[in-house]
Amino acid sequence: MVLGRRAFALIGLLVVGMATTGCFSRATGCPEGKTCLRYMAWGNPQQFEVERQIVKRFNEQNPDLHVTVFSVPGTSYAQKQIMMLGSRTAPDVMRVDHYFFPNLAAKGHFTDLTPYAKADPSFDPDVYFPTALEECYVEGKLMALNVLFGGIAMYYNKTMFREAGLEDPWELHQRGQWTWARFRQSAIALTQFEGGRPKRFGTTVPQLPAIIACLRGFGGEMIDLDANRSLLDQPGTVAAYQFLADLVWVDRAAPTPAQGANFAFTFESGKVGMVLDFMGMIPRYREVAKGFDWDVAPIPKGPAGGRTVIKGNQLVIPKNCKNPEAAWRFVKYMASQETERVLYAQIRRCFPTRKDVAYSPEYLQTDQPPYQLQAFVESVENGRILPINERWIEWINALQMETDNLFAGRERDASVVLSRARDKINTILSEDPGL
Amino acid sequence: MKRLADRPAFWGWLFITPWLAGFLGFTAGPMLASLWLSFYKYDLVNLEYVGLENYRRLPLDPLFWKALSNTFAYAFISVPLGVAGSLMIALLLNQKVRGIPLFRTLFYIPSLVPSVAAAILWQWVFNAENGALNLGLGFLGLPTPQWLQDERFTLPAFVLMSLWGVGGARMVIFLAGLQGISETYYEAARLDGASHRQQFWHVTLPLLSPVMFFNLVLGLIGAFQIFTQAYIMTGGGPNNASLFYAIYLFRTAFEQFKLGKASALAWVLFAILLVFTLIQFRASKKWVHYEGGEA
Repeated sequence: MVLGRRAFALIGLLVVGMATTGCFSRATGCPEGKTCLRYMAWGNPQQFEVERQIVKRFNEQNPDLHVTVFSVPGTSYAQKQIMMLGSRTAPDVMRVDHYFFPNLAAKGHFTDLTPYAKADPSFDPDVYFPTALEECYVEGKLMALNVLFGGIAMYYNKTMFREAGLEDPWELHQRGQWTWARFRQSAIALTQFEGGRPKRFGTTVPQLPAIIACLRGFGGEMIDLDANRSLLDQPGTVAAYQFLADLVWVDRAAPTPAQGANFAFTFESGKVGMVLDFMGMIPRYREVAKGFDWDVAPIPKGPAGGRTVIKGNQLVIPKNCKNPEAAWRFVKYMASQETERVLYAQIRRCFPTRKDVAYSPEYLQTDQPPYQLQAFVESVENGRILPINERWIEWINALQMETDNLFAGRERDASVVLSRARDKINTILSEDPGL
Repeated sequence: MKRLADRPAFWGWLFITPWLAGFLGFTAGPMLASLWLSFYKYDLVNLEYVGLENYRRLPLDPLFWKALSNTFAYAFISVPLGVAGSLMIALLLNQKVRGIPLFRTLFYIPSLVPSVAAAILWQWVFNAENGALNLGLGFLGLPTPQWLQDERFTLPAFVLMSLWGVGGARMVIFLAGLQGISETYYEAARLDGASHRQQFWHVTLPLLSPVMFFNLVLGLIGAFQIFTQAYIMTGGGPNNASLFYAIYLFRTAFEQFKLGKASALAWVLFAILLVFTLIQFRASKKWVHYEGGEA
């Protein structure tokens, strides 16, 4: 059989079309004679632009290397990341949310950085907060360096407190009197209803992981990582959940899920007096929270103290990276004093992992709110990391489904809800993780 | 020897090649791969043959039954309601009144709204405090439920929302079907003294039954795959009240990385859809009437 001239012409046209539209293109953009690295992160356009500038500075300081940064939307980041790791197409350096890190590290996706750290005389682990490195160790091996790190503190509307004649939480904290009992009194006093409809609330029910900070204040915990079993039936855990549910349904000092839907009551709108959150909220609050004074204070103390929650995200070198030495240089630069000063002291995206930056006047002194940045320093000094294990996503989902009913007011007894959640979580933890 | 280019089949194959390549590479290939994977324990790194273990364990998982029952309830309520709604609108838009093209456009517009945007819009509609629905219900003195926060009302909320699409493609297909019915049937019915209602039951419905059958089959398949709305509006909550099968499958695969189990879930869904489609085809012999032929 013979192909006609027209058929050849058509097929030729298709091939040319595919080539020109990039189907066969293999351009990488890597400059001649340089070792090239790809770095993947998430962030909004402003945050991404800052990272691009940091990468540019790294490239200028390291003429033998060339790093290109690309961002993936936060909403699809986890899926993209696992697909890339699974298909061995992951970039040389990537940021991993700590919620996923233990799971992915346990599966052997990442390069062990211990030998690079030990062989590098310029790397000193003592410059970092111990908790910043604690998240990065897996079975005694350093698998990452921490970025976008910090502890949960409490943002509060100073104007609202002043107008209600309440004492300032930061001052109470300094006297050791900022407690969950005081928090409750303040929340009730700050709440206002008008014609039966809520005008403003004293607080909101903290979301995960902030809720764990409250649990710890009452002496509770969610899970015993060593024994691999749920601790939801502990008296402290039950008391904390009951306390939060009562804030909504007994005190009416926090919005119900229905009242709070569609961001009807947010701190930045001036309709909520106190919220628990990470330092990463500062840029947004500075931009949006207008017309009132605000500040931060450590989370209240409970019967068991006031140990808050600490969480970071990890910079890792995937196993498929062809130049781990070069990638290590870049990872180290991202946790360097120079970078942290830009990321954390100047734009306040999160809390520094380095003590020298956190304790520096550049970080601690500011002429715009929040003024008491010491609150974040204290949270990192006193806090503990989250109880995240390989099955975190599964068991936390099971817990949330149970507590939905508690916070929606369909059930009022936290001990009943939590005992059901405990059984479900223990079942999950006892099952084969792959099936 | 006949030149290849002179054969019509050659051109046919050539022009469907892009689709064929896409179908084999992105549909048939992954389907077969997922069938193979369903016999393995796979987390994108470790692959271990487990035989039928993934399938054996599914009925032991309470979330599997929750997802299945939610999806069945949604499909078997929303599809008949949706088909009936589309038919009613098509009947209205088939009338010969002034400005009918405008009405047709207006009814079709909601289906042009991207599903994510529609989900966000409906979140506002269902807002228990300030949503349009509860404001209306409150005005009429009726109870105002917490639609998306109270597990008793979440599924009804999604069924209600599914009616948003009644003016879309399904309605257009009904309209095309209505316009394909010859006027002579109605003329004959009128000569026999048939009323409007009798004409609808004995002429319109039987002649529209193939279209209705098509809409039912596709509607059921689509309803079993509901995902976007629930993923955005409730994330499967509260208390798994809107955990639909596709959300459960997605979570298993892309949040828990249990690719083997997720593949088994996908094939179970495929089997369920196949069985229901076959049942519909078998049942259609009793109620679907094709012009000029047997059912």
